[in-house]
Amino acid sequence: MKLQLKLAIYNALSKALVVLAFGALMPFIVEKVVYNHIDQRLKARTSKVLRIIEKGGLNDIARESDCTFESYNILKEEFILIEPLSGMKDVKPTVITNEEWEIDGEKLNHRIIRQSFIYDNQIYSLQIGEGIDSLNKLKNTIGRVALWATILTIIASIFVDVGYARLLLRPLNEIVERKLKGTKDPVHFNDVPVQTTTLEFQQLDISLTELMQRIKSAFLTEKEFISNVSHELQTPISILKSRFENMLMDEKIDDDVADKLDDSIRKLNRMSKIIKSLLMISKIDNEQFLKNETVNIKALLQEIVEDFQEHLSTKNIRLYMQHLDDFEFPNANRTLLFTLFSNIITNAIKYNVENGQIDISASKQNDVFVVEIRDTGVGIVKENLSHIFDRFKKFNKSTEPSFGLGLAIVKTISDFHRLTLSVSSEANKGTTFRVEFPVSSFT
Amino acid sequence: MNVLIVEDERSLSHEMEIYLTKQGLHCDVAFTGAKALEMMWVNSYDFVLLDIGLPDTNGFEILKEAKKNAIDSAFIVLTARSETDDKILGLDLGADDYLAKPFSLPELHARMQAILRRKHGLKVQIIDINGFMMDYQNRTLTYEETPVVLTKKEFDLLHYLALHKGRVLSRSQLTEHIWGDVMDDDYDSNYIDVHVKNLRKKLAAHAPIEWFETVRGIGYRLNAQ
Repeated sequence: MKLQLKLAIYNALSKALVVLAFGALMPFIVEKVVYNHIDQRLKARTSKVLRIIEKGGLNDIARESDCTFESYNILKEEFILIEPLSGMKDVKPTVITNEEWEIDGEKLNHRIIRQSFIYDNQIYSLQIGEGIDSLNKLKNTIGRVALWATILTIIASIFVDVGYARLLLRPLNEIVERKLKGTKDPVHFNDVPVQTTTLEFQQLDISLTELMQRIKSAFLTEKEFISNVSHELQTPISILKSRFENMLMDEKIDDDVADKLDDSIRKLNRMSKIIKSLLMISKIDNEQFLKNETVNIKALLQEIVEDFQEHLSTKNIRLYMQHLDDFEFPNANRTLLFTLFSNIITNAIKYNVENGQIDISASKQNDVFVVEIRDTGVGIVKENLSHIFDRFKKFNKSTEPSFGLGLAIVKTISDFHRLTLSVSSEANKGTTFRVEFPVSSFT
Repeated sequence: MNVLIVEDERSLSHEMEIYLTKQGLHCDVAFTGAKALEMMWVNSYDFVLLDIGLPDTNGFEILKEAKKNAIDSAFIVLTARSETDDKILGLDLGADDYLAKPFSLPELHARMQAILRRKHGLKVQIIDINGFMMDYQNRTLTYEETPVVLTKKEFDLLHYLALHKGRVLSRSQLTEHIWGDVMDDDYDSNYIDVHVKNLRKKLAAHAPIEWFETVRGIGYRLNAQ
């Protein structure tokens, strides 16, 4: 998941949580504020009534008969009630409660303060109530308005946050898109600095560029080294080869000497070939070959087999290509794939018997395109099978010498193209090489 | 025929000089790029054999400079570097051929002959191989007006031997010429024997061919009759 998306989701969730908490607490807070306000007012009124009684006496306001006083405002929003409490000795503490109060047969919610006081050795109860139904409505309205205001503010702030995060993360995205994605080898690394004022991104960009430049320099050094090794080794071989060839031209030399010279030339050729093969493996490992061609495998196999006709006929080997399906393999290096198959076929000829047979098939099977090359050669014993792609391994001691790099190159090329290579064999029956091309990578 | 060998490895240029002189060519040698250019201004060469890795400059630069000054020598680029790009670049810059080191001297000579044929290609050249008439342009061989049908490889083999008449060509030299480096040298040499056997059979059907000599253990030679 992208960092930007993660940040946006985190933002939205955390804010939603705030809204929820706020929404849940809002009624309590508003209630608390409202009651606090009412309570203050009720207490003030109580004090005021008590002061009036103290000044003018209870008789002024109470009815003569039972010393009780009752008063309501016309909307029944407020009332005041003074009544004597019989049988009470002590003054009760002041309490404030919410109660349903019936006034003229109409029940209304009131917040009521009850306070006792002594007048004329008699304990009286003073109750002042204030209707809270309208207040409750107000409370809900305030709650709703506050909730909506919060939600809208938060939505707006999420948009602002996402926008800002995008702006903030733009250099990071640029580093990922421009510098990391699509940088297959260090030579093609884009080292133009990313424009940013964020210190961390600057550091990241600088470190990345420095690292890539170091790899690039190592890569180029290696490339140059390979080229130089080739030059340093092939030049003396070339000198010796030319010298031996000149000596061989001399009519006066003995046959014996001529034999040795010819043999030396052959050894030099072999050395040169080993160097070329090793350098080729090294170059493939270093990704110095491009993979920018789409190769028709069927046509490639046909071309290779055409090249081998002479070799086949001299050993009288029959080669069958019974089943060849068309298949275009993209992002490949044709020269390397040519080498891969011709090395396998070389092996199939080299280790085959006189009048032997080679079968080549190429077909699409499920998710892979399979090329199989089967020979009727000397085969490979089981314990050696796992080593045949190792460099400089050789098992068929009885047959012509070879330096085992052919199959090591096959393996390297196969890995380079992410192919699956497998081999099965039975001693004295033959060997089958199987090369699988992923089909999903083509459409 | 004048040849300029541009090669800083003196042992190698020396061997090339010996061989080509024996083939009847006149050779000059330059060890540096500057010297090579100077010699090209002064003399006229039919061939310039150009090493790419020179001490003072790159062989490609010399090639460019020479082409800019309309020097009409044939250029064969010699390199020990592994880069296949070298080959392409060399040919793009107008080189006539390319040989990777280590090359075989008879192969170098054959390439030079091929360039000569290409450059003066209009004149039909018939090579007389002891009565067998070889027309390289049309790739035909006749004996007393009777065509001798050869495969491509057999024809190339006979032509290569005829080109170096009187000299032994080893199996590995023949292999190198016929196949390049398709298979292992040791292994390929056996194929040469098969091809020679077939070739001899075809030739012997028309005339005795004791001039087609097997040189014990090494290779083959065409002698003059």
